[in-house]
Amino acid sequence: MSFLSITNAVKTFGTNTVVKGFDLSVQKGEFVSFLGPSGCGKTTVLRMIAGFERPTSGKITIDGRDVTDAAPNKRRIGMVFQAYALFPNMNVFGNIAFGLKIAGLDKAAVETRVREMLGLIGLANLAERYPYELSGGQQQRVALARALAPKPQVLLLDEPLSALDAKIRVSLREEIRAIQRQLGITTVFVTHDQEEAMSISDRIVVMNGGRADQIGTPSEIYNRPRTRFVAGFVGTLNVLKAQVDNRSPHKVMVGGQVVELAQPVETADATGHLSLALRPEALSLTPSETRNVTFEGRVEGVNFMGSVIRIRLKVGSEIISFDMFNSPNLVPPSIGQTASAHFASRDAFEISA
Amino acid sequence: MKKTFPVAAVLTALFAASFFIVPLIATFYFSLKMTRGELGFAAYASVFNSAAFLNTIVYSTVASLIAILIGAVIIVPTAYWVRLKVPKLRPVVEFISLLPLIVPPVVLVFGYIRLFGSNSWLPLTSSAFGTDVLLVIGYVVLSMPYMFRAVDNGMAAIDITTLTEAAESLGASRLRTITTVIFPNVRAAIISGAFLTFSISLGEFVLASLLNRPAFGPYLVQLGQDRAYEPAALAIMSFGFTWGCMVLMQLFATKKPGQRWLPRFAQRTTP
Repeated sequence: MSFLSITNAVKTFGTNTVVKGFDLSVQKGEFVSFLGPSGCGKTTVLRMIAGFERPTSGKITIDGRDVTDAAPNKRRIGMVFQAYALFPNMNVFGNIAFGLKIAGLDKAAVETRVREMLGLIGLANLAERYPYELSGGQQQRVALARALAPKPQVLLLDEPLSALDAKIRVSLREEIRAIQRQLGITTVFVTHDQEEAMSISDRIVVMNGGRADQIGTPSEIYNRPRTRFVAGFVGTLNVLKAQVDNRSPHKVMVGGQVVELAQPVETADATGHLSLALRPEALSLTPSETRNVTFEGRVEGVNFMGSVIRIRLKVGSEIISFDMFNSPNLVPPSIGQTASAHFASRDAFEISA
Repeated sequence: MKKTFPVAAVLTALFAASFFIVPLIATFYFSLKMTRGELGFAAYASVFNSAAFLNTIVYSTVASLIAILIGAVIIVPTAYWVRLKVPKLRPVVEFISLLPLIVPPVVLVFGYIRLFGSNSWLPLTSSAFGTDVLLVIGYVVLSMPYMFRAVDNGMAAIDITTLTEAAESLGASRLRTITTVIFPNVRAAIISGAFLTFSISLGEFVLASLLNRPAFGPYLVQLGQDRAYEPAALAIMSFGFTWGCMVLMQLFATKKPGQRWLPRFAQRTTP
């Protein structure tokens, strides 16, 4: 049985339905990320789990207990906010101790737990500092410690890294994951950053228009996106118009060239049209045994991006984009030149609308 | 490039300030001339030696402090609730809070007398205590625009919605959230509102006079009619008091949590 369960949750604000029949089961100790663009409903679902929004219909249970109508302070959740939300009138110690005092712990127990939490986040020497005396990263660490101190059943993270600079973001997300693993706490993380979601999660829920488009491991989401939206949102993707070749169910035509697929075509419409997807990293200018399919085309663009060089190849009327690693001796193709891009037939996949 | 001294700006500022400073100096100078042929603080001594002065100032101070307390208890939760739950109603509440600036105090007090007079359903004016209550309520109403603005601005400076949610996610009830998180974080704003309320109600004349209460405002006016030098001394004292309040407001408003009130002057000696 799942530890956190959301069943057919709907949330409507006036005439606007923001969450449309959302279902999710999270196992104990699992780290699940909600990934999606702004306005897809990911934060609303998180706020429904926290109790800050009441679902218009549907059910939410935590550890078998129905909390759909429970007040936020009765749910035993810990929440970390994008804007830190540390209490400005309390120092670091006071902030972390807040939930413990409410839980009725005696002074010695509060002191012990706060010291333990400060050790966990590596800020033991800053207990007396006030929030305005801390950097953004330090404030978010304190917010994490504050949320974890009362030993909540579920930890909710609402874009906690968005306000931080890139370097701190990477180090803090690794810290969050390490702490989550160490404590084994069930965690729901909201982000619009795909790299963040990929690197930190056990499973990702890709949300679009108030629904979960796909739920799966980072690898499943990236390598086998189920919808065009997921494929386009997670990573860069070449989506090519293809036409079924009547000679074989494994063959399609792309830009006038025949492509043999690893599996027979499944999603073609009545006129034989389908969408074929290829990740840029599946393509290479160098042929190999595994790269058994070749596209020939004209180089339309060469963009130097530091460690990689992005090449755009025109195949018929289709543009294919792919990257090659930079090296000092590498001579990239020039614009206008004819080039071949090779890939393995198993790396091409169909996507539905 | 070397900056030139802004002569025109300084002269304009001095000219504008003279409208304020010259009468103040003149009043102060006049207040020192009570004893013929010499300058001294006789007018100030006369004021302080007057029993009426002490009685009225104590009465008005107590009434003002009670008004501040009631005002804070009404306005802080109201401003909090409006910002948290019904932000769309904020302009309406703001307009209501500004009504005392539009409705003259004389209209307000006649309304009170009519509503709470001896023949009414709640005859507050029938007893001295009842009239005192009415005066305090009047002070609360008169200070509402200042108190509401100060508290509302204080709440705008902190993200009360997120702070409330953070406190609730940690298990705090709404009451505990208000008392331990919201109230301390708008304390500076409440104190600013309190000082404004105090300086308004301490010298208030219309309500106290028409309700016939022994307050400081009517005493000031009476003194102005009966004496020459003491009113000037009182005006200077009131001015000093108001400025004192403003300095305190500034101190409270700019002080951060955990910060000392005054900079540390004595340097620590290393062993």
